[in-house]
Amino acid sequence: MATGVLPMETAIYAVPALTLLLGVLIGYLAQRSGFCSIGGFRDFFLFRHTRILSGYLALIAFSFLGYLLFWTLTPAAMEHFFWALTSGPLTPVPGAPAGLGLAASVMLAVIPGFLVGFICVLLGGCPIRQAVMTSEGNYKAAFFLLGMAVASPVFAAFVSGWVVLMVKSLGLGA
Amino acid sequence: MPCSICSTVRNITSLLVRHPAFLGALIGMLAALSQSLLISAGGPEAYGFCVACHTRDLVNGVFNILTGTSLALASISKNSVLPVMSVAGVLIGAYVSARLHREHAVKKGSFRDYLIYFLGGFLVLILAMIFGGCPYRAALRTGYGDLIALIFIVAMALGVIAGTAFMLRRAEREDA
Repeated sequence: MATGVLPMETAIYAVPALTLLLGVLIGYLAQRSGFCSIGGFRDFFLFRHTRILSGYLALIAFSFLGYLLFWTLTPAAMEHFFWALTSGPLTPVPGAPAGLGLAASVMLAVIPGFLVGFICVLLGGCPIRQAVMTSEGNYKAAFFLLGMAVASPVFAAFVSGWVVLMVKSLGLGA
Repeated sequence: MPCSICSTVRNITSLLVRHPAFLGALIGMLAALSQSLLISAGGPEAYGFCVACHTRDLVNGVFNILTGTSLALASISKNSVLPVMSVAGVLIGAYVSARLHREHAVKKGSFRDYLIYFLGGFLVLILAMIFGGCPYRAALRTGYGDLIALIFIVAMALGVIAGTAFMLRRAEREDA
């Protein structure tokens, strides 16, 4: 069990407060800069523009540097950094449906990855861009967020279980 | 009082604020800071910022509190008094910025547009949850050392190529 700087009793109050604060800062800057992961790749492939793509690449690079920095400062909070070395080269960080084998993990990264890229580029932006466009008064983007909100309980109640069943019936369980 | 250093500082700040790379670097550092502070409340790791997962946590968490159900959500949100609020924060921050800079403009679409965007959002959340993160958490996970997330990013880039090619072809057909 990883332990952070704040003890559990404080952290349970700090979680909503701090994430709200970070969200406000990120939302403000995202509106100013037009930050978008999908838009970066799109502009690069279409026009060879690298401005927006630089945001996503900086995110990958600086998340590594950030985790590295805080791993040296507070090693107990970064229990499994660097994941590929501590937990096996192709084990995913928890988040997706659990208890799947290696082939399933790769499959569940490739298929959703491709489709997320395809759908988002047609709809003009990744989830954060849709949130920013909603705040700018775009009703279409608001329906995108509504779709995400409705999908949340549906995924938890049904789809998550179906995916595990499907993958296991293909013989790709752990 | 005009001074050359103040105006240089102001120019650099305004350049940074409007450059996506600055925000990307900031999100990366803040996500690590947030994990270092908050991880005692619960996992998973590399969860500092994610639009899809945090939407799921917010919606399911509030749903659970209001109706007493127990829909799945990340343990950091389950253990805390309220779930993670980043997505609400993004909406507020972007709204404030759009209002301050007079970039708020109501844009409506047709019923068909709304239906397509709704289905798009629905599918994107489900696909992102199957993988375990939106493009942002994929970047954080890659930085944390998760190679599966790197595979997701490559697949996403291929999906963007396919989507752009599809759009170009459709535009050509409409021109002809």
